[in-house]
Amino acid sequence: MNRMKRMAVVLIAVLLVASLAACGGGGNKTTTNNGGNTPGASENGANEGATTDSGEKIELTFWSLGTTNYEELAKEYTEEHPNVTVKFQNTSDQTAHHNNLTTALSANSGAPDIFMLEIAFMERFINAQDKFHNLYDLGAKDIEGDYLEWKWKQATSLDGSFQLGLPTDIGPTVVYYRTDLVEQAGLPTDPDGFSAAIDTWDKFAAVAKQFKDKTGKPFADLTDLVYNGVRDQAADEIYFSRADGSFIGDTNPQVKKAYDFTVNGIQEGWIGNTLLWSPEWNKAINDGDFAVMLAPAWMAGTIRNAQDSAGKWAIAQLPEGAGNWGGSFLTLPKEGKHSKEAYEFISWLVNKENQLKSFKSKGLFPSIPAVYSEPSFTEDKDDFFSGQVISEAYAKSAERVKPVYYGPLHDQVDTMFKDALKNVLEKKADPAKEWENAIKQAKTLAERS
Amino acid sequence: MADLATAKPLQNEGKKPFWTETRRSRLTAYTFISPFFILFSIFGLYPIFFTIYLSFFKWDALGPMKFVGFRNYELITSDPTFWISFSNTLIMALMGTVPQLIMALFVAIMLNSALNKFKNTSRILFFMPNITSIVAVALVFSTMFGNNGMINWLLNTMGMESMAFNSGWWGVKIAISTMVMWRWMGYNAIIFLSGLQSIPTDIYEAAKIDGASRGQQMIYITLPLLRPFIIFVTLISTIGALQLFTEPYVFLGQSGTGSTRQEGVTMVTYLYSEAFRNGFFGTAAATAVMLFAFTIIFSVLNMMISSRMGGDTGGKKA
Repeated sequence: MNRMKRMAVVLIAVLLVASLAACGGGGNKTTTNNGGNTPGASENGANEGATTDSGEKIELTFWSLGTTNYEELAKEYTEEHPNVTVKFQNTSDQTAHHNNLTTALSANSGAPDIFMLEIAFMERFINAQDKFHNLYDLGAKDIEGDYLEWKWKQATSLDGSFQLGLPTDIGPTVVYYRTDLVEQAGLPTDPDGFSAAIDTWDKFAAVAKQFKDKTGKPFADLTDLVYNGVRDQAADEIYFSRADGSFIGDTNPQVKKAYDFTVNGIQEGWIGNTLLWSPEWNKAINDGDFAVMLAPAWMAGTIRNAQDSAGKWAIAQLPEGAGNWGGSFLTLPKEGKHSKEAYEFISWLVNKENQLKSFKSKGLFPSIPAVYSEPSFTEDKDDFFSGQVISEAYAKSAERVKPVYYGPLHDQVDTMFKDALKNVLEKKADPAKEWENAIKQAKTLAERS
Repeated sequence: MADLATAKPLQNEGKKPFWTETRRSRLTAYTFISPFFILFSIFGLYPIFFTIYLSFFKWDALGPMKFVGFRNYELITSDPTFWISFSNTLIMALMGTVPQLIMALFVAIMLNSALNKFKNTSRILFFMPNITSIVAVALVFSTMFGNNGMINWLLNTMGMESMAFNSGWWGVKIAISTMVMWRWMGYNAIIFLSGLQSIPTDIYEAAKIDGASRGQQMIYITLPLLRPFIIFVTLISTIGALQLFTEPYVFLGQSGTGSTRQEGVTMVTYLYSEAFRNGFFGTAAATAVMLFAFTIIFSVLNMMISSRMGGDTGGKKA
């Protein structure tokens, strides 16, 4: 009994101390920060039998996003640079991933040395430059020319003096299409022929209508991707002005064009009604319930999951230019203490050879155009996509992408337009009224920034 | 020095020593319960007051905070979406809670009845939904309520038209309320069940001898004696319903955008997207304060209504 009591007292004491420690942590923000230098050393010390020169051993923390081969590459890097080890923390939930960084940055504690930033969240952080290292100060000017210009610019401040991140992969948009279905409609099935048949949006709509009339099936799977296809070709800006960040979605002709084009597709019946990412949508891909999907390079992974459709897909170019959806950057939050080593590591991680490796193993599409002419890149025939060299098709698209400014509320406003289109599709709502409503909502939102 | 020496005993004569036995044991007691209060003030009180403070500032969580007075409240109350979220929350609270509580009561009575042979199994069965991950639930339900999902198939076979459960004004609410109902009915049934079991059986026996029918027993014995449980369950459900979040968030935000359509936006999803999608922490805090106020108002209303229910009969138990 006595023993039990003593145990209980010890337990409670531990709890008390722990809660007090939690209390102290809130007030004293710098402790963890300074700790960043030492824990790495002490951990290494424990592993390798206490070496005291902590200046040598460097542990970089890396918050990575989604499927990458970066952990394997980091091991290679450690073999060459034995003093540098990289500790990964991987998340696949984009929103949580970026919210975690927001929290860490606003608390001035807990941010990693290297953070993988997705383009959709770029504007949020590029406005918080003082929390990041300027990669131009670390030598990024020297490698700028290697990368696709539009991709590089996505992470550059408006005045061009601040580089937030190094480009990783990109998501150039292409037209995935079902050769068996377009054949039924009497359309050319080879990529070049099909690309030519739809090389303007008007032609695309005409072909779509023809397809619908002949087969009775929708031409495109859903409203969102069709809308994205046209929207992403906006010149320079979409919903927000590059100059002052004000809302311009109501006056930008490309936004209106994308909206009207999609409405037209809905009214002519060649746009299907499945929900993006839903199980039904996956089934529709597999069963061939529609003919084309306007989607980025990384969508190939989703399409490949539809095993019954193997060999029936091919890739054509988007009408009137390309667009880009997704892709990330490697950034260095200022809290990280090893900016020099971290920069050396990330500039190695996304160099030409490694981008090729990432593409080969995980399908991350390279942002260095020199890779596109590598023999091992172009020789890759893909049986799933009827033997086409798909990397070439993506590369062609990637080189046609023009840089656009998104603005911090791009995603939110975009959803309002998508909802409007869905109302037109599902509730037979009046397109003009829905347009007005989306504009009104977007303005209400923009008022807050 | 001499003064001090003489003064001390004088003082001690008048006052008890500081560390008396009671004080010491009190200190021990407070030390023992302090972890809760320390943790509560860090993770409970501090956030509450910080939220109120924050609701007067404009803040994106990264830059400096800027005082804007009542501007955040102005912004949200002039935003139609906020009021849509408010009415949505109320409608879904009614749709998801009222039928659910009635059903829960019947389930509880059924579980309690001597006729039920598989009491424990059915208790577990009814409680199961509550411990299932909501995200998994929402995914299953979104398949069921899809355009070509099971529910629409059922509607079609019954000769009715398909419903747009992911975009229709009522469709969305029906789907989400069903999810809530499915998830919480068993939980409330278990609470009701414990209430039913606290009613002494001899009351029923006496009623039976007096010739009361099952229906009469229900109305004059079961319901009045269950009153405290009913009040508790309604209150908890009201608060829970006002905080409805995961179901609409996962059900409608499944395109990966993390946004919720207007038909299904609730106050908490509105708050969430203000803060974590738009980066407007000030308006989000203002929304939280409003939600807090509404929760208090509705809880008080609820207490008033449900304690009137059954009139004086409730007092007899005591």
